[in-house]
Amino acid sequence: MDETDRLIDDLGGLPAAVNRVDYRRRGFHLEVLLNAEQVRKLAGMLRDREFYLSFVSAVHLLPAIEVLYQFASFALPCRIMARAAVTEGGTMPTISDMFHGANWHERETRDMFGVVFTGHPYLEPLLLPEEDADLKPLLKAEGELKTVDKISAQPKKDAAEPPAEEER
Amino acid sequence: MTTATGNQDRHSFFLNMGPQHPSTHGVLRILLEMDGEYVLEAEPVLGYGHRIQEKMGESRTWKAFMPNTSRLDYVGALICTHGYVGLIERMAGIEVPPRAEYIRVITSELNRIGSHLLWLGAFLLDLGAFTPIMYTFDDREQILDILEDVTGSRLTYCYYRVGGVNRDIDESFIEKTRDFIRRLRGRFKIYQDLITDNIIFIKRVRDIVRFTPDMARRYGLTGPLLRSTGIRYDIRKNEPYSAYSEFDFEVPVGTTGDCMEAYQVRIREMEQCLRIIEQALDRLPEGPVLVKTPRKLKLPPGDASFSVETARGELAYYLVSDGSDVPYRLKIRSPCFSNLSLLPEVCRDMLLSDLVMVLGTLDLVIPAIDR
Amino acid sequence: MEDFNQLPPELIRMIVAVVVVIGFVFLNSLVLGYLERKLAGRFQLRPGPMEVGPQGVLQLIADAVKLLGKQFIIPREANAPLFRLAPFLAFVPVGVSFIVIPFSQKLQVRDFDVGLVFILAVMAFNVVATLVAGWMSNNKYSLFGAARSVAQNVAYEIPMLLSVVAVVLITNSVSMKEIVLSQQEVWHVVTQPVAFLIYFIAGMAETHRAPFDLPEAESELTAGFHTEFSGICFSFFFLAEYTNMFFVGSVAVALFFGGWSGPTLPWMDYSGIVWYMLKVYLLLFIMIWIRWTFPRVRFDQLLNFCWKYLTPIALVNLLVTAVLVKL
Repeated sequence: MDETDRLIDDLGGLPAAVNRVDYRRRGFHLEVLLNAEQVRKLAGMLRDREFYLSFVSAVHLLPAIEVLYQFASFALPCRIMARAAVTEGGTMPTISDMFHGANWHERETRDMFGVVFTGHPYLEPLLLPEEDADLKPLLKAEGELKTVDKISAQPKKDAAEPPAEEER
Repeated sequence: MTTATGNQDRHSFFLNMGPQHPSTHGVLRILLEMDGEYVLEAEPVLGYGHRIQEKMGESRTWKAFMPNTSRLDYVGALICTHGYVGLIERMAGIEVPPRAEYIRVITSELNRIGSHLLWLGAFLLDLGAFTPIMYTFDDREQILDILEDVTGSRLTYCYYRVGGVNRDIDESFIEKTRDFIRRLRGRFKIYQDLITDNIIFIKRVRDIVRFTPDMARRYGLTGPLLRSTGIRYDIRKNEPYSAYSEFDFEVPVGTTGDCMEAYQVRIREMEQCLRIIEQALDRLPEGPVLVKTPRKLKLPPGDASFSVETARGELAYYLVSDGSDVPYRLKIRSPCFSNLSLLPEVCRDMLLSDLVMVLGTLDLVIPAIDR
Repeated sequence: MEDFNQLPPELIRMIVAVVVVIGFVFLNSLVLGYLERKLAGRFQLRPGPMEVGPQGVLQLIADAVKLLGKQFIIPREANAPLFRLAPFLAFVPVGVSFIVIPFSQKLQVRDFDVGLVFILAVMAFNVVATLVAGWMSNNKYSLFGAARSVAQNVAYEIPMLLSVVAVVLITNSVSMKEIVLSQQEVWHVVTQPVAFLIYFIAGMAETHRAPFDLPEAESELTAGFHTEFSGICFSFFFLAEYTNMFFVGSVAVALFFGGWSGPTLPWMDYSGIVWYMLKVYLLLFIMIWIRWTFPRVRFDQLLNFCWKYLTPIALVNLLVTAVLVKL
């Protein structure tokens, strides 16, 4: 757990909100909430620590789409879930020069959500045909859009204790 | 990444390893820029099988989406479903009875062996050997018969439920599985003689391409290919789920990251699967196989992730819930997607025959990539 | 009618013989096709064709009837006259060269003094058929198959030639009949085992049999040089392949296994063909066995094998034979 503590300290220098969460309830060890500008620094830090990129995706929320990143480590058991809201222009800096696998993940996210990754070498449709490049199928309709707090777990509690109510 | 026309200096031409091709194992199109027999650049073009599973996940209830998970990586369908039900149980805090966990492990491992056998046959078929596929499919038929008795399906199983499994296994299942374990152990010698010691096979597969740990980290390569590079990473050991922490099995690793090593890793993985199944059968606990869950299952708001080790690598589900009975966002991370993304880097200046061999080693199931 | 009686009997005999030989060869190709499918089934733990006729013996006839009914599609940009010609180019040369094969003492259409040279020349013509078929299809995959076929055939001509010349050195003649007669005491496979092996391997490569079936590599090139052919012309290529196999086997038996020699049967002058066919089918069985066991070699490995291994060994064998014959 030393490594993870050191990682949390370094990440805290980002600055980003880093929470240690209960793996048994959430499936990952660390949750990182940050801004679009800090994403590249996070990626650089994790690249130096031998983390691999599991996926890049997004979730459509109010007020802005949040881009999701999941990293995991080959050596430690440490899985990191990072969320960053896109900038006002709907863009996000790319990490595909540090993690080449992000190339395709970012292309897919752009297909599905319309998030433009600045600096991406070839942001062309991956899964959708060229004529449907602006379809953005995974964006939510007006009435279904939720805000961030609606989809968050019990607010800001230390998630080590299980939530009070359990529906049975 | 692509050039509009072939580079005139290099006298190259474009060859479409089109959506219909005997070796692409599904509807995958690879645009090849070739110079004679040498591949200068390869660019996979995806989307021919895109069914927007993730949108479907947002319009169906948690339980209604379950059949879709089998259709992702249909060769290892039970393992994919395992990830999904595990995720829902994790979020809802549902405890699965131990007998159900053991049954899940047994059926998942049988599925994994079936998947590796199919890969073996198809890999040799790509290399031009028409006989081994018949032998591996013969073995695979035994698995399909065993699983059909208890699940009702042969390929796209919908056997797991939130809270356990649908039906209990009986004595005949256990007996047939034990017979199968004995039979498969004897068959490994045949595969050794027919394939592994075959000089032409060795010359086709060894020392052609090298997967490195750095490549694995950059592309998110997981599964037997990752283990062939020497990194001992298996979700079943590193982040154990279900009942895997109770079993004693090895994670085979290679050393050089060769295609031959990847082949050996998969063969040894099959042997380890047999070990797990044996231990699970020996220690199978009694008890119920399904707990009652509410008909309209609502998950608390929040997000969660669940990763399983499929035959091809790490399959991860990530879902965001807003408190209702329909997911807000369901993300499916497929191992074949990340594995295929390293093809352009790996197959530069490679012969066409070797490209076909590398595609076979990557072990792709295209519906999992396109989703 | 009187003109007919004035035709030289030799000519009539020749015409009848040629027709009989062509028919015989055709029939053998059908039998060989059936045999291959049955054996392939057995090697793969399945029964093979079983439905049409007892044990599936009429399967190929059913296939031929089916293929006759299919439309022969010519791609738009393909060179139509040559495209149509390609299947015949595949089939005719090898059919013609059966004239010189001595099936038994008296059963040979015509014995040339240079029979073996004639055979080798006609065998070299094989490559033209695949080249024309692949190139004229206007299809990149077919072109691949054609290019590979040219390189493969031309390369493997050399070891084949060298191994055959070693036999010629011993028998001192290139007439097929003489070569068979010279093996009365001891077969050439005993005195020239290396030459036989090289000839066999080169023969498999010439006829595009696996593990050397790159020109039609199914898993890499869809169907290689015959991708665009449909209907009866497609089957012509397969018939040509089986005829080629039969031909290579026949020549091997004539050169190395003593042709028709064997325990004496009644009417040995004509019934020597029984031993001939038995030996040929033994070699064909081995060819089929090899096909269904091994994966395909890669193209550069194929050419490496020819130039770096087969040709030097054949040369050394030739040299040793020449020295020993002189002694």
